[in-house]
Amino acid sequence: MTNAVQRVAVYGGGVAAAMAALAVSRAFARLGTDVVWIDTGKEPAPHAALVAPPDLATFHRLLGIDEAALIAGSAATINMGQQFARWSGGDGAFLHAYGDAGSAFASLPFVQHWTRARQAGLGVALEDFCLAAAAAKQGRTGSLRESATQQAVKQGWYLDAAGYARLLRAACERADIRIVSGAGAVVHPNGGRLDRIDLSGGEQLDADLFIDADGALIAALDPDGAAARPGFCDRLIRGSAPAFDPLPLYGRVVAHSAGWLAMVPLADRTAIEFAYDSRLLSDADASGALAATIGRAVDAGSPVALEAAARPRPWVGNVVALGPAAGDAPPLDGGELLLLQLAIAQLVLLWPIDRATMPEANIYNEEIAGTWARVTDFTAQHFRLNARIGEPFWDAARAAPVSPELASKIDLFAARGMFAHFNHEAHVEDSWALVMAGHGVIPRSFDPQALLVEDRALMAEFQRQLRAVASDVHAMETHAEALRRMRG
Amino acid sequence: MGDKFELVIVGGGTAGWMCAAACAAKLDPTRFRVRLVESEEIGTVGVGEATLPQMKDFNDFLGLDEIEFMQATQASFKLGIEFINWGSEGDRYVHPFGTFGRPIGEADFFSYWIRAHRAGTAAPLSDYCFPIVTALQNRFMLPSGDTNDVRNAFAYAYHLDAFLYARYLRSWAEARGIERVEGRIVAVEQDGERGDIAAVKLASGTRVAGDLFVDCSGFRSLLLGGTLGVDLEDWSHWLPCDSAQAVPSVRSEDFTPYTRSTRRKAGWQWRIPLQHRTGNGYVYSSADISDDEAAATLLANLDGEALADPRVLRFKAGKRKQAWAANCIGMGLAGGFLEPLESTSIYLVQMAIMHLLALMPSEPSIDPALPAELNRVMDVEYDRIRDFLILHYIANEADAPLWERVTAIDLPDTLAGKIERFRHRGHVQAYRDGLFGPPSWQAVFVGQGIEPRAADRLADVLPAATVNERLQNLAATIADAAASVPSHADFIARYCPAPAP
Ligand SMILES: Cc1cc2nc3c(=O)[nH]c(=O)nc-3n(C[C@H](O)[C@H](O)[C@H](O)COP(=O)(O)OP(=O)(O)OC[C@H]3O[C@@H](n4cnc5c(N)ncnc54)[C@H](O)[C@@H]3O)c2cc1C
Repeated sequence: MTNAVQRVAVYGGGVAAAMAALAVSRAFARLGTDVVWIDTGKEPAPHAALVAPPDLATFHRLLGIDEAALIAGSAATINMGQQFARWSGGDGAFLHAYGDAGSAFASLPFVQHWTRARQAGLGVALEDFCLAAAAAKQGRTGSLRESATQQAVKQGWYLDAAGYARLLRAACERADIRIVSGAGAVVHPNGGRLDRIDLSGGEQLDADLFIDADGALIAALDPDGAAARPGFCDRLIRGSAPAFDPLPLYGRVVAHSAGWLAMVPLADRTAIEFAYDSRLLSDADASGALAATIGRAVDAGSPVALEAAARPRPWVGNVVALGPAAGDAPPLDGGELLLLQLAIAQLVLLWPIDRATMPEANIYNEEIAGTWARVTDFTAQHFRLNARIGEPFWDAARAAPVSPELASKIDLFAARGMFAHFNHEAHVEDSWALVMAGHGVIPRSFDPQALLVEDRALMAEFQRQLRAVASDVHAMETHAEALRRMRG
Repeated sequence: MGDKFELVIVGGGTAGWMCAAACAAKLDPTRFRVRLVESEEIGTVGVGEATLPQMKDFNDFLGLDEIEFMQATQASFKLGIEFINWGSEGDRYVHPFGTFGRPIGEADFFSYWIRAHRAGTAAPLSDYCFPIVTALQNRFMLPSGDTNDVRNAFAYAYHLDAFLYARYLRSWAEARGIERVEGRIVAVEQDGERGDIAAVKLASGTRVAGDLFVDCSGFRSLLLGGTLGVDLEDWSHWLPCDSAQAVPSVRSEDFTPYTRSTRRKAGWQWRIPLQHRTGNGYVYSSADISDDEAAATLLANLDGEALADPRVLRFKAGKRKQAWAANCIGMGLAGGFLEPLESTSIYLVQMAIMHLLALMPSEPSIDPALPAELNRVMDVEYDRIRDFLILHYIANEADAPLWERVTAIDLPDTLAGKIERFRHRGHVQAYRDGLFGPPSWQAVFVGQGIEPRAADRLADVLPAATVNERLQNLAATIADAAASVPSHADFIARYCPAPAP
């Protein structure tokens, strides 16, 4: 391959740069590709934590990162889902667990039968038929060899961001990736491509492909390529509170009058993110509001601006921007790591054949734009569906425009409990169902094929499923047992 | 009857009776009343003999017995379509119902094939595909059921007599409570603000009222196009064939478990072997050949004696702008038409039925989200097929006026760029819904002479010798497996022999 990409430079710091360098090196070093990481030294923000969706577990296998190392190095705990509290006004809460929303039967998704039963007066919530949700709430996790429900239970992680970045960096070092300091580096663009980066020590680094996890490289090539995306909150306070005991298997996202608060359970602390709209809550009042919402003292930093920029064309010339350089991920539902991982996987898949032309950029930009749109929709649904009626922040959030795709998803679920799926979906249907039902959307009608099941048979099946959920939960292990097992 | 939701299906061709049968199988008769109106006087199109593997899913969904169904419809098996003269004169390739190869390493099989092909060490792509190797020897078996066996890595469809299929489904559906109403519709009554259809009136004076109407009236599109005025989105600038001549011939020795499509000066000719006869037709652009010359060409290219005079059919490529408007859903020819080059019409009927069942309104006032979704998914289905058909047309030698024109057309946005991407690195987008995954695109691209210049770099990780050895082993395994398969004719004679008609 005379025109193959031989030299790759990754520019940036923190999780995104390390993960990209590691993934690219593991895939292509075998072909003689040389990977240099120009470390800008930018570290995760103090107190920051990451919500890793279940997909990351698979990705970790490709990266060669094992569970024991994660637990030891990043205060990791098991993530079975997120609980949303007070999004509908009262104290109510629901759990978006990573699992099946009930078990399909009579060849139809469970939601169809559930809708029918709700119309006939059933009071049981959809999540009560979800093994992952029931287990998480009762502090149980793990997979079963023999399961009565036969339901999927998927697990992600909660990670301390700084610890995770250190862990990835160590893995880069073990993979013999050369890491150089990017302090004082000067970027040299030339005719739509990047020529080289001059390091302060005098070394001139040229590469066939630059991966930008910082934003400086892509900004040099495409200064007008970033656009502001509308966001609901403009301020964020990060902090830490004492760890929960026992450790919960899910995080919590609590709505408050001027924004939301996320609690991420880690092994040694509970990471807090308090987001708000500074027009409704002054910075001076914010820490008081935070303490009041959480009900105890929090070791918190000062407010920082919460940005929401988007970069529709992350690959320009020979620079691929990913992680924060590609735009600010939606702030909930583990969007940050999900998008990072999908971007890296897509880059490996579309690894350029010809370093001089790289027409892969167009394919990549199309794929990533689609993925961003769908991931963004998933988080946008919470704001669209909130039922905190009469509160200015939440009324505006409900009225804010959403993509046509999300609008049709919500319309169709509300009408029929079905899913309008599009290309690039990153969340499974059952996740959408648990969230929409959790926010109080009960479909107005159901698939008439459900009527072929007789009322009595339906009730018997519901009871069977609830019993199966209970017995499966009973057979699962506790969070502490699971962590101990994985620690080895 | 009072409270029942009243469904009226207009038309008793393949589309109408497929829909009626699905309603009989899946709608609760205490809540739905389903009637089908058809006119013997008008008759059906009656062509439509090659299908896709999804038809087996549909039959299974109804609970039909495969053997009984095949006997009733004079059916044979289909493992794919052979394309002759597509690309350039003398070329031939098969678009199979299966994938190429099986996993060799981290990259997908096709990438390894590209690499070896570029190096001159690969056999033709088709040698790595069990259904193709088997089909070209006129052999057939059902998938073996063992996932480690190459003889399991395929799907199959049927060739069938569409007229007999409709008749078979009719008796099946009538036995399950579907009411058939004979008569010619002469007027349609509308009411309501949306112009909902209230009833159809027959020549006899009978009035058939309903809450929801399914228009299966064929090319006329009596309700959807006629009464509701939903226009056809015209795609004939991309797919210019507008006519066909169809003729049955005596069954020949060459009892292929595949459909054959042969490119000709002004279009292409199909050949579909059934148990009792062979179906043939010439699909052409009337601007490029006269009806008489088309008929003569067809008759000169049969491999058995013609059993009738060629019959002319006229059509236009396109789809109704909405499949569901007001309280009426159009399916089959009433909803749109794409030439049978990839045997997709009956599949489109099936998809419309499946979506309609799931989106069936429960009361006369229709929740607008339901038609919105049906229209959206049917648009996706049509667009995918349209682009894939156009691909067959554009990748050809410009060896006659029709082929000069089609190879120079402006492509739809959804297709533009795909060819260049494939040439660059064998890239095919894998989309979420709709027909034709990457193996189909690979088959047609490579079959019609569009070859990738390079492969996914991950395919370079394995040493060349290892790749070559694995390719050779796979081709040998497939060749050996194919040799153990019975002939298509024998298999049919044993499995589902149909009585002489
Ligand atoms: C040349 C050609 C080749 C084809 N090949 C294939 C193929 O290989 N594979 C494939 O899947 N598909 C193929 N098709 C498509 C296939 O034939 C049709 O999709 C299928 O037969 C469905 O037809 P239909 O039921 O929609 O319409 P029709 O068969 O036309 O049925 C229309 C029905 O409506 C009734 N009707 C109409 N007007 C009135 C009225 N005023 N009053 C009462 N009743 C009325 C008629 O009596 C009839 O019952 C082909 C089509 C053509 C034209």
